[in-house]
Amino acid sequence: MVAYSFAFMRFPMTRRSVLERIQEGDPDLRRAAFGDLTVAYWRPSYRYLRLHWRLSPETAEDVVQAFFTTAFEKGYVEKYDPAKAKFRTFLRTCLDRFVQNTRQAERATKRGGQAMLLSLDFPGAEHELAAYPALVVDDADRFFHDETIRALFARTVDAMRDAFTREGKPQIFDVFARHDLHPSADATYATVAADLRLTTAQVTNHLHAARRRFRELALASLRDVVATEDEYRAEARELFGVEISPERSRTGV
Amino acid sequence: MTWLSDAVVGRLREVATWPELNSDRYEIRRPVGRGGMGTVYAAYDTVLEREVAIKVSNALVPDDGLEERLRLEARVLARLEHPGIVPVHDAGVLDDGRLYYVMKLVHGETLAARAPALATEADRLAVFVRIAETVAFAQDSGVVHRDLQPANVMVGRFGEVLVLDWGVARLVDLIESPGIRVGTPGFMAPELQRGDSATAEPAADIFALGALLTWILGDAAVPRRLRAIADKCAQPDPHDRYANAADLVADLSRYRAGLPVSAHRDTLLERAGLWFTKYQTLVFLIAAYLLMRALLAFFQRIP
Repeated sequence: MVAYSFAFMRFPMTRRSVLERIQEGDPDLRRAAFGDLTVAYWRPSYRYLRLHWRLSPETAEDVVQAFFTTAFEKGYVEKYDPAKAKFRTFLRTCLDRFVQNTRQAERATKRGGQAMLLSLDFPGAEHELAAYPALVVDDADRFFHDETIRALFARTVDAMRDAFTREGKPQIFDVFARHDLHPSADATYATVAADLRLTTAQVTNHLHAARRRFRELALASLRDVVATEDEYRAEARELFGVEISPERSRTGV
Repeated sequence: MTWLSDAVVGRLREVATWPELNSDRYEIRRPVGRGGMGTVYAAYDTVLEREVAIKVSNALVPDDGLEERLRLEARVLARLEHPGIVPVHDAGVLDDGRLYYVMKLVHGETLAARAPALATEADRLAVFVRIAETVAFAQDSGVVHRDLQPANVMVGRFGEVLVLDWGVARLVDLIESPGIRVGTPGFMAPELQRGDSATAEPAADIFALGALLTWILGDAAVPRRLRAIADKCAQPDPHDRYANAADLVADLSRYRAGLPVSAHRDTLLERAGLWFTKYQTLVFLIAAYLLMRALLAFFQRIP
């Protein structure tokens, strides 16, 4: 028997949802929460605009910039009602309306015309689109959902790599990358061990550590893409099939 | 930023909760099912060289409710040794704190999936009686299932019938189960719907069995006496139902043998019909004999 792991205690004991932080009334807190929201959603939004709305790269970039700055300035998020829809669906619907309004005005937001210009890696996002040849978006909500999860996992993987490097344990990430992230067709614990000159037991232990860290970081990031505790628990269940009790969800697990 | 393909996203979702066993005995192979309480994986027992199933709690961090339910389920299963109940081999805690238990790997499908293939009333009743017998055994051992429904019954490749998901079961008079509202709409006794789960008695399982019997018989015309058996199970007042599953099994056995059942008072005509059905071969033989005698007598009189 093994004692319980309390790795989750590494997270802040009180992680509030994006909506709670935005609604707090503190301008600095609101700005920071909006930053988290933008980081979580700008990439899925860009892909959605490019592939669903078929906007050009330049227009999609403009719309993303304009949408998030307008949402911040006009308090879109404050109007969200959890009883009506998931936060992600609400945000996508806002984006749809924003695009329609922009088109109706026949004046897409001028480049650089916004007071606040977000520093976002649009060339990188455009480059990633090469992986979606001839993709047809049948279900807009599903597509936006999948892209949000893809972006969340990508941020988690980057954060994980940084964390293990910072802690002087880059080998743990290397094992994870070779076995789970970019495995070769014949990847096994033994082949990964041979490639990295480790024992099979070391590979096993590294993989356990990496997977657990991935899970913890992904769940922590998940809080930044949902609006309420109930939605957080539902998303965690949908994402990993895990149950998080209401009391635990307040601890940022 | 790292870009991840759909395949990698899918794999990360799977490996993020992959069980990390702290011994080499079991090799986890693939997930085979996921419920609200736990996820079941197919695994290989390297010591006994056989396939097993490992059910792992879905609670990533200590969660009194879910863990208690999984622990309770393992204990209930370990306590009930019956062909209709999956045997438990082992239990423990993963490196990351999640509870798990090891059980027999059942190859088959749920009753919900199998039901359309049960063509005749006899086939459907045969399966149902196996379920009721298992519940009768559990009740005799002081266990109330509390969530009997088609998705919680597995029918194996060789026709074996197993009652699953004992996670919300109650060990009568021994362990007070968590105060949670349990059951599945359509199969849930009125007293459970009212949230009276703490005092759930075997009668709640009788109600669910009645709903299950009605469900498994489907839209086909159901004989009156069989309908009466299902109706008796589904009475709103627990005292009007069968006292226990053994009584239900006994009534079903009488029905299958063509005998009167306690749930239905037969009319004179129905009794005659029952008697005729039971002795129809004898009746036909006697009738044929009498007919032959009459014909012989008739022809003997003709000059």
